[in-house]
Amino acid sequence: MPNINIDAAKANTYDVIVIGSGISGGWAAKEFTEKGFKTLVLERGRDVQHIKDYPTTNKYPFEFEHIGEPALSIKKENPIVSRCYAFKEDAMHFMVKDNEHPYVQEKPFDWIRGYQVGGKSLLWARQTQRWSDFDFEGPARDDFAVDWPIRYKDIASWYSYVEKFAGISGNKDGLAELPDGDFLPAFPLNAAEDYFKGVIKSRYSNRHVISARCAHLSKPNQIHLDQGRAKCQNRTLCQRGCPFGGYFSSNASTLPWAAKTGNLTLRPFSVVESVIYDDAKGKVTGVSVVDTNTKETTAYYARIVFVNAGALNTNLILLNSKSKRFPNGLGNDSGVLGKYVAFHNYSARISAEYDGLKQFATDGRNPAGGGYMPRFRNVFKQETNFKRGYAAGFYASRYMERDRSGIGGSLKDSLLHGKLSPWIVGSHMMGETIPKESNFVSLSTDKKDSWGVPLLNIAVAYDENDELMKKDYIEQLTEMFTEAGFKNITPNVSSQAPGLDIHEMGGARMGHDPKTSILNKWNQMHACNNVFVTDGACMTSTSTQNPSLTYMAFTARSVDYAVKSMNQGEI
Amino acid sequence: MERRLVIKQVLIMAGGLALLPSCLREQGKSTIKLQHLDVSMEQENLLADIAETIIPRTKTPGAKELKLHLFVLKMLDDCYEEADQRLFMSGLSAFNEKTADQFSKSFRKLSVHQREGILTKLEKDPAPELSAFYKIMKDKTIDGYLNSKYVMTSLIIYELVPGRYNGYFPVKTA
Repeated sequence: MPNINIDAAKANTYDVIVIGSGISGGWAAKEFTEKGFKTLVLERGRDVQHIKDYPTTNKYPFEFEHIGEPALSIKKENPIVSRCYAFKEDAMHFMVKDNEHPYVQEKPFDWIRGYQVGGKSLLWARQTQRWSDFDFEGPARDDFAVDWPIRYKDIASWYSYVEKFAGISGNKDGLAELPDGDFLPAFPLNAAEDYFKGVIKSRYSNRHVISARCAHLSKPNQIHLDQGRAKCQNRTLCQRGCPFGGYFSSNASTLPWAAKTGNLTLRPFSVVESVIYDDAKGKVTGVSVVDTNTKETTAYYARIVFVNAGALNTNLILLNSKSKRFPNGLGNDSGVLGKYVAFHNYSARISAEYDGLKQFATDGRNPAGGGYMPRFRNVFKQETNFKRGYAAGFYASRYMERDRSGIGGSLKDSLLHGKLSPWIVGSHMMGETIPKESNFVSLSTDKKDSWGVPLLNIAVAYDENDELMKKDYIEQLTEMFTEAGFKNITPNVSSQAPGLDIHEMGGARMGHDPKTSILNKWNQMHACNNVFVTDGACMTSTSTQNPSLTYMAFTARSVDYAVKSMNQGEI
Repeated sequence: MERRLVIKQVLIMAGGLALLPSCLREQGKSTIKLQHLDVSMEQENLLADIAETIIPRTKTPGAKELKLHLFVLKMLDDCYEEADQRLFMSGLSAFNEKTADQFSKSFRKLSVHQREGILTKLEKDPAPELSAFYKIMKDKTIDGYLNSKYVMTSLIIYELVPGRYNGYFPVKTA
């Protein structure tokens, strides 16, 4: 282009561009800036600075307009995000309103998003488990999707690397199906959770209840104090942003760390409409950004682009990045871009009561949430009529029952002097879903958003395998609860649409073969070697672990590889 | 600080919620700003007396002092469907009329004993036209009480920063 302003182009040129500032984008920023690369992080939403921009963090319940409940008018305007458990007055300013960025639901899908610096890392449930080879080998063994191009040995050291910096609490449980990590002390199980753990251990050889592993500083190390973070104070108000930096978020950890290097440029209000591919150079040269305030479009340039926009938005950007070389979206020679989207099946839970251990209750709050049961179905061999399996949360608590009957002085008395309930126990399933070509996202052919980007069309649904697995979860948990002597066992099967799990994955999957996958074993595009995807879009399969820790490890590993490649002149 | 003080004086504290006063200061209208409900001063006072009958002043403050009736109105105004709001308002009128019929004077003029008698009866066997009104009134009065600044900071202390977790906290079994 002859008219290009060379100076402006120079001013807009960085070593690296990272699209997105959430959990994986934050890691990319930290890794590149630490290694001395001038890094531009583009965030479509507003800035949220640690502590300063957590307006609700120190509020008491009565300091919210409606003691936490969003007004009915807000719920009616936002039926989708209102279905999310975290959409309350204390955190709704961190969640995307329905009309802010619409999408097309070819099939019902609740797309829950956080458009601000830090993204959903401010809001996540902070559960962090490693994958094992029982997970990475899943597609090959059980004949679905494509084979993962990596195995546990390829990523184990990167798990350690990110765990040490992020701060992960857990026990070394010695389970082959859920590898141990570099842990801070675990948050302990309570009396009833321990009891259930004992029952399961004595009745089942391959089922385990462990302390949930979570990204909280139970006992910070120097590296955490150096980030300006402090010990978790057991507030369990994490979704508001933590003034102690007690849990890991981009805002509390990776982004300020990156900023300290002097190599970070963070640009909020920047919607990336596409990644720019230069047909002559045969590589990507930068990205095209719409400023959401001015609506002006500006190009930014770099040697390498990391796409960490959040799984489905990463698909959107890549699909919308069309060139002569890639008429169907960047890197999409195979035609699989946007396809094989999967998620986690959270649609069943179960609760019950336990009459024993009344000499104990809990005091304070457990940020880990309680216990975790790693997947026990179809781990070592296929044993059911469905593929794969589910992990399960397990938690127990006693609450104050406050009798609301009657009026007057006696009512007041019974309200103020509650009675401890028996232990209430509960569990929820986290099922693996099988990526399929028919579960996909694509670009709307006729609708565009406020920034001129086509709306994302989402066609993702449950299938028969999910239904069978759900049924098995209810049966197995009922059996285990019965073994434990729990009473009033109450299954609760929800008909919620996919999406509410907020674990959407895939669309730009990793694989050995460029004909059936978008990314290679380094999260690098097969067809364009200076583009990397290390957020949920890269996932070949979902297994049952909460995914964020794996995104962090992929990102750090991928940056390491990208830097070596640049140094060797390959990129 | 001074600016905060001024704002605090202008706002009406209900439970712990800070409510905007009604703008127009219209004669005979509710003291707080409501978007959907049309509540007269007289109705507001009646609600205050009902709330006080549900949660009376004992050695500690009751509903009136904590302005829990305004909490009820605020929640009803913002968080309930229009149909529920209508049922509440019509139930309130019916309640007023029924009481007047039975005692030849309004609820507000009755003794505490008489007021308790009316609500106790309503509690056990609510007339259909009163049930929705009374359920919302009682539920929200209790919610407002338990979530009030007074209760959360003086009686059932809400801990913003526990700083601990004990999963084997010994308690009496009885």
